[in-house]
Amino acid sequence: MLHSRTNPVRIAVVGHTNTGKTSLMRTLTRDAGFGEVSSRPSTTRHVEGARLIVDGEVLVELYDTPGMEDPIALLEMLDRMDSPDDERLDGPARVERFLANPVHRGRFEQEGKVLKQMLASDAALYVIDARDPVLAKHRDELAILGSCAIPLLPVLNFVSSVESGEAAWREALSRLGLHAVVRFDTVAPERDGERRLYETLGMLVGPHRPLLDRLVAGREREAAVRHTAAMRLVAELLIDVAACRIEVVDDSSTGLDAAVNDLNERVRQREQHCVEALLGLYRFRPDDVDADHLPLIDGRWESDLFNPETLRDLGVKLGTGAVAGAAAGAGIDLMVGGITLGAAAALGALAGGGWQALRHFGDRFVGTLTGKHQLAVNDAILRILALRQLHLVRALEARGHAAVEPIGKLVAESGKWREGTLPRPLHRARSHREWSGLDGSVGDEGGRSDAIEALRQLMEHEPEWGAEQS
Amino acid sequence: MMPDQVFFAYMSSRDQDPVSCDADSLGAFETRWLAEVVRLREEAHGSPVDTAAVRAAVDRAQGVEARILARACQLGVHDGTLGALRAWRARTRVVMWVLLGFALISGFGAALAVLGDGSRPVNVVWALGGLLGVNLFSLVLWFGGLWLGGADAGGVFGRGWLWISRRISSLGDSGVHVPRALVGLMGRAGLTRWWLGAVTHGLWLLALCGALAGLLIALSVRSYGFVWETTILPADAFTTLVGRLGWLPALAGFGIPDAETVRASGSAVITHEAGRLAWSSWLTGCLVVYGVVPRALLWAGCLTYVRLGRNRLRLDLALPAYTALAARYAPTSDRIGVTDAAPGALPSARIRMPHRVGSHAAAIVGLELRSGLGWPPALAPEIEQIGVLDSREQRRQAIARLEASPPARLLIACDARLSPDRGSLELIAELSRHAGDCRVWLIVPATLRERARVIHWRDALVDAGFGARAIFDDATAAITWLECGGDAA
Repeated sequence: MLHSRTNPVRIAVVGHTNTGKTSLMRTLTRDAGFGEVSSRPSTTRHVEGARLIVDGEVLVELYDTPGMEDPIALLEMLDRMDSPDDERLDGPARVERFLANPVHRGRFEQEGKVLKQMLASDAALYVIDARDPVLAKHRDELAILGSCAIPLLPVLNFVSSVESGEAAWREALSRLGLHAVVRFDTVAPERDGERRLYETLGMLVGPHRPLLDRLVAGREREAAVRHTAAMRLVAELLIDVAACRIEVVDDSSTGLDAAVNDLNERVRQREQHCVEALLGLYRFRPDDVDADHLPLIDGRWESDLFNPETLRDLGVKLGTGAVAGAAAGAGIDLMVGGITLGAAAALGALAGGGWQALRHFGDRFVGTLTGKHQLAVNDAILRILALRQLHLVRALEARGHAAVEPIGKLVAESGKWREGTLPRPLHRARSHREWSGLDGSVGDEGGRSDAIEALRQLMEHEPEWGAEQS
Repeated sequence: MMPDQVFFAYMSSRDQDPVSCDADSLGAFETRWLAEVVRLREEAHGSPVDTAAVRAAVDRAQGVEARILARACQLGVHDGTLGALRAWRARTRVVMWVLLGFALISGFGAALAVLGDGSRPVNVVWALGGLLGVNLFSLVLWFGGLWLGGADAGGVFGRGWLWISRRISSLGDSGVHVPRALVGLMGRAGLTRWWLGAVTHGLWLLALCGALAGLLIALSVRSYGFVWETTILPADAFTTLVGRLGWLPALAGFGIPDAETVRASGSAVITHEAGRLAWSSWLTGCLVVYGVVPRALLWAGCLTYVRLGRNRLRLDLALPAYTALAARYAPTSDRIGVTDAAPGALPSARIRMPHRVGSHAAAIVGLELRSGLGWPPALAPEIEQIGVLDSREQRRQAIARLEASPPARLLIACDARLSPDRGSLELIAELSRHAGDCRVWLIVPATLRERARVIHWRDALVDAGFGARAIFDDATAAITWLECGGDAA
């Protein structure tokens, strides 16, 4: 299945101990189970590789290495190596001589592994914890790594931290002749961080550049497909909830309460189903370290969907549609027939729904005459569902970047979902009860999938309805 | 080929890259249909344990879609989905046979009813309206539906057939998903209206063929007289109408009653043979040319369109369920494994335990300290300040200085924000050899977020041989020890 027409680019991931080399590997491979990550220094003591694949072809091999721990002493030893017969050795030759002598290796076992991997690689990423000060040991480390004669690209990790000393690092690196530097926060990388990393690396590795370009293109294609799938999941949720209408058999207030609770629970479960599908799509497990940076607690939204506070936090007003009777509770409309859905929804249904819509309109008309009660989910809840899910998608795509902000910040974004007229497909769904999978039946595929498709396209292509980052 | 297979655009076709489930069974389209059923089923009931199916798929097929199909086959055979699909298909065939029979008989009956039993002369215009009117009306509706779009296009018969077929599916878990999958698949490919159109036109075609048969049989074995009647229209209107309607059938060889015959039919029942033959030929020609032929063409057109579309049809891999599978089939990364194994044990630094030295002096040294840590602290003047060690030269000088006059107490200050590494620990061990008693002061800034680092420092120092009391993270305690000695603090 795996093949490579050309040799893949081999890249060593090196750095001082405990700077996040394995985290970088995990982010670049999207393999949350790669290696072992801990805040304890020298967690990784071996060299472990991973292949990056696009369309079944291996383009890049990444090698995770142990952290360098004692560069000052190692450089001292390397410096002494030419002296015996006054023969001057160049960098790689000294490193090779060091590696060839097992006696030297004893104390520098870890560093030896790093150097061996460096010599076997086409380029190296030097991972820096930008919160650390620039110390002599880092400079010595760069001197040693620089003598391996392969391009070295410093990667500034933890740049989004308040303690980040990015400027000092950049200055120190340029003094050492390393002018190409990339920022890449492994916990919360910027949206195009990965692309910039590979592009900068591409400039350094010359002949291997086409491979890295293909990797970037492949990753962006995959991201686009994932985004489409995510928008479809959100659209399915919204259509399911918008289309849902349940009939109240028992008209007493206890019967009504039970029906409302039942509907609430179904909507909650449906939302949770969507959250789990989104997490799965972006390959997050709720117990991932990274999942801490999502706006979820144990893979669930913190605030309840039907809590009025949630509405207020998101700046969503309860709709103008009359909430008939306090018994129905926030977010649920109690309707006699279809009257509260309003003329707009009915007209929308007639325009696009054909005879089935007419039938439903008739249903509701009969309902009005007979006084049959129905429950439906309020517009405000649809708005919250959309806002929350799109927020989650944003957070997942930025791998937690946006999620550092409190959820209240959402108000500034996605204005249309907050107060605009809801999109047409949702209005249509209101009159197609059979589209909803929420009342236990199986949703109808034909018109439902058209509506989902229309809604997905709206969210994908219209920024004010979508999950684009502002 | 079975006649019903001709009707069902989704049947047969083993022409294209079959990802065969079992050798003889499914064509490319049916396999995709099966995959859709499996997907819907999994969405409704959750995914089964499919490791074996996934592995088998990887062995058997290349490419993401082919693997998804192979997996669906594997799962479908085992969990009965394939059986449900076949059963549903068989039932739709039964429904279709019934509808076909019904259409044929209705057409036949309609023709007989329109012509009557021969006791009364046949009103030609009335008869033509009876044979073609409903058909033309439904054709207009079908075109209207096509033009206006909407979910309900495709014709009443097609919709009805689908509706009945769905109602009869009580095939268990998978059964409900079979028609949903088909409708979804066709819908996403934009084929629904053409597919149901083919059914609608097919049924109408058969009904009209039935009518044609009825017409021919009745005309063969009974004797009919032909008239036209009017109260307000002039006779010329009929002549023109008959001539114009008959023009197209005439091109195909059907006869037209001449003007004389037409005019004669207005006043009396035509009984002479030439007139009867002309009228019969005209009526048959109109039915064939305005009824049978357009429906046949539309039926063939819809069928061709659906077949072509169906051959182009691929799974929509952007569907969430398939995206997840694609990630398993075409992983974006792959582990190589450990290429250089970890050593059994890492070398670790050991400090020299407290020992007696000649002097009673005390010294303090900082290790890789940065600004902003309140360094150097205010100390009694007799304490020797060695400064901050960072580079190789600074280290060397400090060790030379300590070697020359080892202090009784040496306090090493470290920045707790840094990670303890072997280099720092080696240096601490080296320093400890040149002092009577050596302790470490971890400077913990108030803003330190990762308390874990302090713990790692402590662990590493204890491993190197420090006692718990020899590690301070409180400035006062550290400086008191340095200035006064003892463990009073």
